[in-house]
Amino acid sequence: MLSEILIIVIRGIAIGSIFATIAMSFNIVHGATNIFNFAQGNMFILGGFAAYFLANQVGFGQWTLMLVLAGLLIAALVTIQGYITLLPLRSSVEQDSWLISTVSVSVIVAALLMITQGPFAYSVQSVVPSFRILGTRTPGAYALAIAAMIFWFFALRFFLRKTFIGLAISALSQDFDAARAAGLPVRRLQLISFAISGLMVGTVGFLVAPVISVSPDAGLKYVLNGFVAAVVGGIGSNAGTLIGGPLVGVVAMLTAYKVGGAYQDLASLLVLVIILMFRPQGLFGRVGARRV
Amino acid sequence: MQANANVQTGPVTMAVESKPKGRFNSDLTQVWIGVALIAITGFGPVILGNSYWIHTFQLVNIYIAAAIFQNMLFVDAGQKSFGQGAILGLAAYGAAILYGLHDWPFALAALGGIVAAVLGGLLFALPALRVQGFHLGFVTMSAAIVFPQLLVTLDKWTNGINGISVSVPELTNPVVFGMSPLAIAVAVFPMIALFAHYGIRRSKLGRSMFVAALSPEAARSLGIKPGVMRFTAFIVASIGTGICGILYLPTVAFVSPQGFNIELSFVFFFAVVVGGRGQMLGPIIGIWIVFILPNILLAQFVEYRLLMYGTLTLLAVLIFPDGIVGSIERLRAKRKQTGGGEQAFRIDGFLANLQSGKVARSPSEEIAVEVRNGTKKFGEVVAVSAVDLKVRKGEVHGLIGANGSGKTSLLNVLSGLSRLNSGSFTINGVDATNMAADRIANMSLGRTFQAPRIFSQLSLWDNLKIGVDARVGPASADITALAKAMEETFGQDSATLLSHGQRRLVEVMRTVLKEATIVLFDEPAAGLSQGERTNFANLVRFLSRQMGKTVILVEHDLDLVWGIADTITVLEQGRVVSSGKPDVVAKDPAVQHMFVGSRHA
Repeated sequence: MLSEILIIVIRGIAIGSIFATIAMSFNIVHGATNIFNFAQGNMFILGGFAAYFLANQVGFGQWTLMLVLAGLLIAALVTIQGYITLLPLRSSVEQDSWLISTVSVSVIVAALLMITQGPFAYSVQSVVPSFRILGTRTPGAYALAIAAMIFWFFALRFFLRKTFIGLAISALSQDFDAARAAGLPVRRLQLISFAISGLMVGTVGFLVAPVISVSPDAGLKYVLNGFVAAVVGGIGSNAGTLIGGPLVGVVAMLTAYKVGGAYQDLASLLVLVIILMFRPQGLFGRVGARRV
Repeated sequence: MQANANVQTGPVTMAVESKPKGRFNSDLTQVWIGVALIAITGFGPVILGNSYWIHTFQLVNIYIAAAIFQNMLFVDAGQKSFGQGAILGLAAYGAAILYGLHDWPFALAALGGIVAAVLGGLLFALPALRVQGFHLGFVTMSAAIVFPQLLVTLDKWTNGINGISVSVPELTNPVVFGMSPLAIAVAVFPMIALFAHYGIRRSKLGRSMFVAALSPEAARSLGIKPGVMRFTAFIVASIGTGICGILYLPTVAFVSPQGFNIELSFVFFFAVVVGGRGQMLGPIIGIWIVFILPNILLAQFVEYRLLMYGTLTLLAVLIFPDGIVGSIERLRAKRKQTGGGEQAFRIDGFLANLQSGKVARSPSEEIAVEVRNGTKKFGEVVAVSAVDLKVRKGEVHGLIGANGSGKTSLLNVLSGLSRLNSGSFTINGVDATNMAADRIANMSLGRTFQAPRIFSQLSLWDNLKIGVDARVGPASADITALAKAMEETFGQDSATLLSHGQRRLVEVMRTVLKEATIVLFDEPAAGLSQGERTNFANLVRFLSRQMGKTVILVEHDLDLVWGIADTITVLEQGRVVSSGKPDVVAKDPAVQHMFVGSRHA
């Protein structure tokens, strides 16, 4: 019984690290643009499809190469999406158009996948062997998911604090108008943040393909859980997602174990509503000063 | 120049007109075109007698009605809901379970279904009390994802994946002209929805909802509770969308989880965007394009439908950000736009008018506003520090000081938009330290903002009328006459062309129409021309001396303040450094440095 709970917790943390990485990819775009990319879940699933088509049953060397390629392809795709999303924001007074355009891109990607690939879940062979934990076989991709979360956390931390472009993006998220007045190339920095978010979800989708359902309609589940992880951690706080993601993952696994797999999304929704009702700034977020 | 000689208060000149006015918006025209279009899809197919089209267009009409309520919720109330399909599904399933599985009478089952929809709407409204924008978008979208999952899982009650078949012969048998009661209801309900939307928009409720959505602070300072507005919007939309769900049930005669997946919610949302957000006709044109077009063109390729929805919507956002109807409406409005220019909003005309026959009063010794030892901190920054302030009834009280000295912070505290960390304040002797902004507003306090809250979607008059809506007691004769004169002059004017200074004046007039007895003006003269300043000074004097209002005035123009204030309080870094009559304060050594370049130096 105890070991069962432990296994649930370990797998929950692994699944949750996927949510955490998606949440971090939300954060970097949100910081630079105030946009929440509703299509991020489908971009993540595209990473899974890339693994299926580019690197199913291949050797380690080719797999690594394809990981990089998949990441770059999806980064390029998200950058184009970002460009399209930012276009109407240039002139319009109405600043909500991104909500609509990212939702519609999400629908378009899912529909294209459905048309070309059919409503099936594709299974991807794992390159990394499974390992034993507490006497149970655990797929290697779970370890990859946690490793990817930690890698992206530190990579982002380094990028945002130590590189010129990263510092400029941080400046954008702190004071947009001041950054623009200081002569920063705002639009280009925003596109870079989109590219990075694409690189993040593309690589993670590729890495965890063996343990997720790679199907056209799975994207929504991940965009939703990634968002819940971001809200639980506090939007904008990457450190918060390290707790928020695994927390959401463990809740989902516990729900699947105790109540039934069909209630996983409901559990995430309840977590989201409870956090928003009682602590809308998230567990680690700060209350922003209100402007009048 | 056109003088409004027909106004009963006498000759008034408030705006100069160069061309005849068009309507500010075409809402009413759109409603009638909409009714005609709904009649075509509602009654047309019956005349043709094609059963496939009868069925398809019944569904179209139901979706049009649902999209109309989505439009109201999305634009008029600013609630970004991606889950209206689930609300429709709740009603349809609720009624299907009660009628189909438990043999309730249809009317009772329908009522149960609507109750289920309203409960669903309340679930959406609950998080909307705390969060807005994309947060709410995610919550409602998640609910729309979870809803069909639950329908499958809770098969003990819902029949699961198999769905529920129903037949309601008393509704589907033809009674008049080959039309069944159901067909008539399906044809007429979208029209009712359209008129309901129009009626709400024209009402005080609609304007309050709109202001609460666009500027919660402005709403609260007008006595509107934004939370109540959101709740009301969700409940109205849920009842309307719930009725759509009830009509859906006998029309399709079958409900299943797949019928109410997220795709349905997206259809309503996309229809509103493609048709034109906020346009009366938008949801109708939107459903025609988003739903009918793919169903005619690609009837056999069901899987291409979503691709069409998504692509059409993305293209609409990029090419017609205002949607189809919105773009046409914008062209029309541009051609006929009126208002604007220096003369667009003048106040001197009706001032002269109101002034006649009034007895001048002087400030009384009673206290209107009193702050005792008030301190307000933002984190480590002390914005207002142990401030004592007394404002007498009917006086003009100038509040001056450098930028960052705490003037606006103090106004925000007095209007209830932020709370003191320590100390207290009273309004007309009542302790208001912990009162919410809307309660303070209803104690007859009004305010303006540094960045004026002017709403371009409303006509200039509707922008002013928000003040009339916020009035607590019955209107005085003067104000009624003033309101009438303004309605005639500004009823079809746009507020978009007003200069910054004029926008401030609109806000000032809003508090006048509200008949607030205590008014707080936050830098009202910034951006006004010299002539407008003189007018403004006259207005303030009039408000104080003729109408007996208490005026607290935050202002950088020291000449203006010294010209009209009875008392002046000087703030420096959150503290009161001097307070008293203007000539006394002017001689105070503590404030001498402020007068460099001013005639009081």
